[in-house]
Amino acid sequence: MEFWAVKIGYFLITLGMVTVYGLLLGAIIARTMARVQGRIGIPYWQPFLDIIKNLGKRTAVSHGVMFYMGPVFRIAGGIGTLAFVPVIYGSEMFSNFHFAGDLLLAMYFIFFGQLGMALGAGESGHPFSAIGVARGLGQMTAFELPFVLAIIAVVIQYDTLSITEIVAAQQGGVSNWTLFTNPLAVAAAMLAFLGMSGYPPFDVFTAPNEIPIGPPTEYHSSFLALMATNRAIFASAKLILFMDLFFGGATGLIEMIIKTWAIYMVAVVVGASFPRFRVDQSIRFFLRVPTLIGIASIAFVQIFLLG
Amino acid sequence: MVEGLLAPINLIIAALGVGFLLPLIARSSASIARGLFWLTQVFLLLISSVWLLRLIDGAPAVEVITAGIQPPFAINLYFGLFEAFVVSAVNLSAILGSWYLIDYFKSRAASMSVYLILTMGISGMVMTRDLFNLFIFIEITALATYGLLALDKRPASLAAGFKYIIATSLASTFFLLGTMLLYHLTGTLNIDDMLLHMDRITGPVGLAAGVLLLVGVIIELKPYPANGWGLDVYETVPAGVAAMISVGVSAGAFFALYKIVPLLGDFLPVVAAVGGATFLASNFIGLRQRNVRRMLGYSSVAQMGLMTLALAVLYMLGKSEYVTLVIGGLFINHLLAKAGLFWLAGVVDRPRTEAWVGLRHRPILLVILGILLAALAGFPPFPGFWGKWELIMQLSAGELPFWVFVVLLGSLLEAAYLYRWFGFALQDDETRAPAVEPVKLIPVGLFALSLLATGHLVADWLGLEAPRVLVPIYMGIILYALDGMPGRLKALLVLGAFAVYAYPVVMGLEGLHWLFGLILLLGGGVIAFAVLHRSDARRGFYPLLGMLLFSLASLLEASSTLEFFFAWEVLTLSSYLLISMGRGAREHILTFLMFSLGSAFLILAGFGFAYGETGSILLADLSKVEKSATLVFMLLTLGFLVKAGAAGLHVWLPGAYSEAEDDFSALLSAVVGKAAIFGLLLAAMHLAVNGVGAINQVLYVVSWLGLISALVGALMALFQEDVKKLLAYSSMGQVGYIVTAIAVSSQLGWVAAGYLTVNHLLFKGLLFLAVAGLVYQTGTRLMYQMGGLIKNLPMTYISVLIGIIAISGVPPLTGFGGKWLLLNALFDKGWYWQAGLAFFASAVAFLYLFRLIHTVFLGQRKQAHKDLREASWLLLFPQILLIVAIMAFSIWPKLLIDPIASSFAGIFPEALIWDGTMLKTRLGYWDGFMVINIVAGVFLVPLLILLFLSRFMQIQKVKQFNIVFAAERPETPETTHYAYNFFSFYEKALGPLLKPRATAFWDGVSEWSHTIGSTLRVLYTGNGQTYALYVLFYVVMIYIAVGGMG
Repeated sequence: MEFWAVKIGYFLITLGMVTVYGLLLGAIIARTMARVQGRIGIPYWQPFLDIIKNLGKRTAVSHGVMFYMGPVFRIAGGIGTLAFVPVIYGSEMFSNFHFAGDLLLAMYFIFFGQLGMALGAGESGHPFSAIGVARGLGQMTAFELPFVLAIIAVVIQYDTLSITEIVAAQQGGVSNWTLFTNPLAVAAAMLAFLGMSGYPPFDVFTAPNEIPIGPPTEYHSSFLALMATNRAIFASAKLILFMDLFFGGATGLIEMIIKTWAIYMVAVVVGASFPRFRVDQSIRFFLRVPTLIGIASIAFVQIFLLG
Repeated sequence: MVEGLLAPINLIIAALGVGFLLPLIARSSASIARGLFWLTQVFLLLISSVWLLRLIDGAPAVEVITAGIQPPFAINLYFGLFEAFVVSAVNLSAILGSWYLIDYFKSRAASMSVYLILTMGISGMVMTRDLFNLFIFIEITALATYGLLALDKRPASLAAGFKYIIATSLASTFFLLGTMLLYHLTGTLNIDDMLLHMDRITGPVGLAAGVLLLVGVIIELKPYPANGWGLDVYETVPAGVAAMISVGVSAGAFFALYKIVPLLGDFLPVVAAVGGATFLASNFIGLRQRNVRRMLGYSSVAQMGLMTLALAVLYMLGKSEYVTLVIGGLFINHLLAKAGLFWLAGVVDRPRTEAWVGLRHRPILLVILGILLAALAGFPPFPGFWGKWELIMQLSAGELPFWVFVVLLGSLLEAAYLYRWFGFALQDDETRAPAVEPVKLIPVGLFALSLLATGHLVADWLGLEAPRVLVPIYMGIILYALDGMPGRLKALLVLGAFAVYAYPVVMGLEGLHWLFGLILLLGGGVIAFAVLHRSDARRGFYPLLGMLLFSLASLLEASSTLEFFFAWEVLTLSSYLLISMGRGAREHILTFLMFSLGSAFLILAGFGFAYGETGSILLADLSKVEKSATLVFMLLTLGFLVKAGAAGLHVWLPGAYSEAEDDFSALLSAVVGKAAIFGLLLAAMHLAVNGVGAINQVLYVVSWLGLISALVGALMALFQEDVKKLLAYSSMGQVGYIVTAIAVSSQLGWVAAGYLTVNHLLFKGLLFLAVAGLVYQTGTRLMYQMGGLIKNLPMTYISVLIGIIAISGVPPLTGFGGKWLLLNALFDKGWYWQAGLAFFASAVAFLYLFRLIHTVFLGQRKQAHKDLREASWLLLFPQILLIVAIMAFSIWPKLLIDPIASSFAGIFPEALIWDGTMLKTRLGYWDGFMVINIVAGVFLVPLLILLFLSRFMQIQKVKQFNIVFAAERPETPETTHYAYNFFSFYEKALGPLLKPRATAFWDGVSEWSHTIGSTLRVLYTGNGQTYALYVLFYVVMIYIAVGGMG
């Protein structure tokens, strides 16, 4: 029992920290993008204000049970994903519940929130929500392929499915990072990451700048607050997973912050430079070059690393 | 006195005497003549059957030599068991056949005497041991046949009769020449004496004698292509006569062949080739045939070809002791079924196959037709099944794979045209139901019953535990007898009987069988419970359901390959018939049957080659196969893969699963489909574990095939508008993972396979049952016609929700465990590429799962569905059981994994380690219990927070159209519900990758087969002279073939 109390306590600390960090990261990115476009952008604390404001709303509209539960599923997906990924290598406090399952668990749990959200959005009865979900899922299947191939390359390389062991294998110097030992896998995974992060050119499923489309269309007040919180947590969880698998993990908070920010910046830089793909174009994109790189990465591991 | 009357010679005397007297008597009194005619027939039947019984009891055979003079001037008869059997059968067919000719005989008194003489001629052909006598009887038979044709007096009959007489005269001329030469060489005409002097039949004269004798008999059997003259006959004459020619005359000719075969030692390969070519070619041509009688004619000729082939091959292999079973089985099967079918064709009297629509509304007629066709197609329990089984075993044991192929291909083609015909009969059109006098059905019904009875007798005679093997059949019959009872009562009866029967069966099993006992029998019982939701009588449904469920039990109980194959075929037949009850199923049932039979034949061939090597039909002895292990494993695996719906072989699946009745679809996909998995595991367990031969390569190919199926199934499911088709393709995909898991062939792989199988049973049963309720309530299967139904069918929604989470592999429900085990197994095996494909396929599966739940339950509700109610509780109850099982296995995966692992214990090195609730493999770890608790935690805490916040908010429930709609007001649900062509962009992205290649390929195969049929048919010009020429050419060809061999 004591074990669980400690674990849950530690996890709550991690969760709080990651939430704050994720929200801040969102603000930083928003400001960065604003500067690129010649604007000043939002203050750093804007995301916090938004959440507090939304939580404070006194009225809410519900379209039914699933609609009500959608954001809960969503945030459970985000928190759960974080729970199954160790944040900081060698730290008891920041290792979360990763002992409950391996990399496969984290990978499949990513879908949990998406599925729940999709259902909630579906019950809103708004056709644009459903269109957004369909497009988002379609694109997800496509970038999943290079991502998975990269993961497989990593698993072969380190001969384990345990995230902690993968991080452990990358310790002892920058040259041990997957980025340098298996660059093809990282290339495939980072291309997939572009799709995962929802920045241009792969942002058609939320189309954030024009008509309301995508899952959040009908959500407001506390629902929206939960979703905004989740966006911070979920994005951080995925960044941490990428960091663990490909960039040597982190042994301290500062290292974690720098690395995840840097990974995020890849998507931001690409997003700032490109216009938007139609969804069928992005599907085709992911199934071509990134997939080939992914395949090459497995071949690379089998031929050069395993002999 | 009585004994004298019963002497076998009276078979000849009575028929001949009465035959000549009849025309005279008819002049004075037609009714006396008719009375005498019937009396004679009864008398003939009495003699032959009394003797048959005596001979069965062990009485010695009777030898008759008439008038104290030696043959050839006297008649020399031999009346043994076989003779008595054939003669009784022929007499029985004759008497029952004349039932259908009553009107015909009334107008043509002379034809009665010809008919009697025909019967006598056939009996003579069967009984005589003297070649010259045989010639005489052949002539009598031919002339009598011609007489019957000529007396019909229609131009078509006359023309057919003329061609017939030309050809048969040619044949008997050859026969006579051959007899002459043999007499010259041996100085005797008696076959038995000749056999003693075989050494004298040598040199060119011996060869010529043999060839002439052979062709004389063979031509009578109507070999392809020299048989155009024989086929016209079937089309023109009355059904009763056609039946007599098809079964009686052919039986006589075949028996003649049987008698001379020992004389033909060296020619046997040619005889086999003649039979095989005829069997195959006739069945190819039958495919093109739409005229019922002519089609049956082709089938008759084909059956004779098959028997010729079997006879020759058995003698070639020195296995003449199997003649009784193989030839006897095929013969009685052909006799009863073909005579019955010809009669039925006469009773229904619709010349074209497509005109048989509406028979469905005459249940008795349909059942009779069904039995006769099933027998002819070689389904159990009919005698043909046993005969064909033994034939394949012996052909395989004799290392004649080519003939195995010919026999199976020919049988498949035959089933194709027969069941295409049956498909028309199953069509639902009450206005076109035929009007039939019940009296007319007595003989044909009697033959249908005899088929069942002989099937039983053969099983008994083979020393099988006949009652056990036949239980499914008995169940079907008993329930059919009770078919008049109310629907729910019958449902309870089936379920109750099944529970009582299945419980001890499962308890008595162990290992793999025990595991599948639970899957097939317990799972089957739970899902079959749903049939209670319908209160209508569902005529015919419950007997077949009983047959299906009990055959699953038989499949598990089977200890020999024969029993397994028997149960497998019963399963196939009953599923076929059950599927055919679906309203839109008609277009798909033939495809289903063809692929099922193709699968069954592959399995049969596999069992055959296993028997060939080990000489044992015990399932356990499959593991002793070494030399041909790769071949056997490939055949079995391919056979089971067809039934598992592996990509490329899956074209039967979507139609069958989606068009079956809604509650039966659940059983079909969730349970019946698992029989193939059982088969695959069984084959792998006995043959693949040791990895002899090239089995590992086979497994490697299978692993790809499984995952390609997973991907193709998922992709195809994306684009379906029909909810049941979506689930059908989904089944194909999900079973693909199981196939791959089996191919991994390690403890991890097999535990994954078992886990995935159970999981698939649970979620697919759940989904199909939920959809059954949905379809029942909404009256449509098209998803875009639904929407927003969560408010009307909340329980069904929950079922679907749990079902799709369990499929998708999202933790914490059972699906994840399956994916985890499978991927671990693949990684462990080093099959990394397959792992990538497995991931991708499971991601694609998300798309259709979302579509399923969204377009049906979420989004905008149609106005017409405003007042829909929840599905029946009787339908929901099994769903609740399945949900409980899914939840229990999700929380305690050990409950599921431990029994599975124990049922494969000792086969592979242990690769799974339990550490408390934690499951570890070499690479990874997973604690299902902990995961579900954590997930519950992270879900419940935000939920509680939201609920808490909601207390301070005014939550307002809004109406359907109260949505933010870009400054517009949404109009109707139809324009606001995003459902139709949901993943159009995916189609656009993948484009040409999604073309239905497999369907195109199999359409091509069907097209080619028909083209072959047409090509082979070109020879039939309808011209008597050409036909005569063919006969001559044929003789020359045989001569060259035989001479070439010498």
